[in-house]
Amino acid sequence: MTSVYELVQLMSSLNDTRRAILLALAHIYPRSVSGVQLSRLIGYSGKSRSLYRGVISHLKENELIQIDQLTPKLYAIRINSEHPLLSVLVDLCRTNGESARIIYLKALEDE
Amino acid sequence: MEDMLLKQARALYKDRLRIALAAFIVVFSITFYLFYNPEIVSIGAIPPSGVIPSGWTQGFAVVASVNTIGFCLSITLILLIFGFWSWAFLPGPALTYTLAILKGILGTDTTIRHSFGKKIRVTLENGLQFDVNCRIKDKGSEEWFVYRLVSTQLHCDQLRNIALRHGFGVKNDRLVANISNNELHHRTFLLTKAMMLVSISI
Repeated sequence: MTSVYELVQLMSSLNDTRRAILLALAHIYPRSVSGVQLSRLIGYSGKSRSLYRGVISHLKENELIQIDQLTPKLYAIRINSEHPLLSVLVDLCRTNGESARIIYLKALEDE
Repeated sequence: MEDMLLKQARALYKDRLRIALAAFIVVFSITFYLFYNPEIVSIGAIPPSGVIPSGWTQGFAVVASVNTIGFCLSITLILLIFGFWSWAFLPGPALTYTLAILKGILGTDTTIRHSFGKKIRVTLENGLQFDVNCRIKDKGSEEWFVYRLVSTQLHCDQLRNIALRHGFGVKNDRLVANISNNELHHRTFLLTKAMMLVSISI
């Protein structure tokens, strides 16, 4: 229960963009997405480059997400499931978030 | 929804940049006039005549002169002054916003010191400190008024675990995070809580 409490606190401390990223990534775990896919998934209006250089790099610095560089220009972004609180979030999404996951995955397929 | 104070601060900053640019053009012209209107003092490095046309030699004498050295030095000085100005001063409303949020969440027992530049040092009741650094515009994300929270070095076995549980990263035994202005309240709160836990477990 402590972890859930801390998770709620952590999520509410983040701004809209960061919260949307973590929620989306937690739902589609263990899938990873590229920067462009992610910016579409969370409805980000700015350029995906500014999303990458700002928000995503900061989330990575705080070890909330993991980034694998596939090619020099293509990155695979996924949630850090070893994070003590986000592992709880991933579990919560897996047990309760089946319908939300369908929406997220559908959004990813429309390309 | 952006805070009113930050909106004002942004407009103020943009206005000041425009004023600075206009002033720079005027000062540039005046400097140019002051240095090149008097007699040109050559530094003597003139190529021998006959090799290149004499018009070129005269032009070269103007470029390679004491006047040019003086001119370049004063332009560098002007740019340095501008650099200092933009480094040292946070627009007033943004400072008000930052201090109001920090005082609001940390209470009156906490020392919040802001002397110069864009750095605010916070000393908690338990003696631990952290810095709040503000940047007017982040180059990467093009966001306005972003902050970087950095705590002092903390030595504690549980540091990484505590940091992660509060959404912070660890760098050189310091808790760090880059945050946007609408996160300032919550994340400062979490940083304070994390540092309380660290001070208990030391």
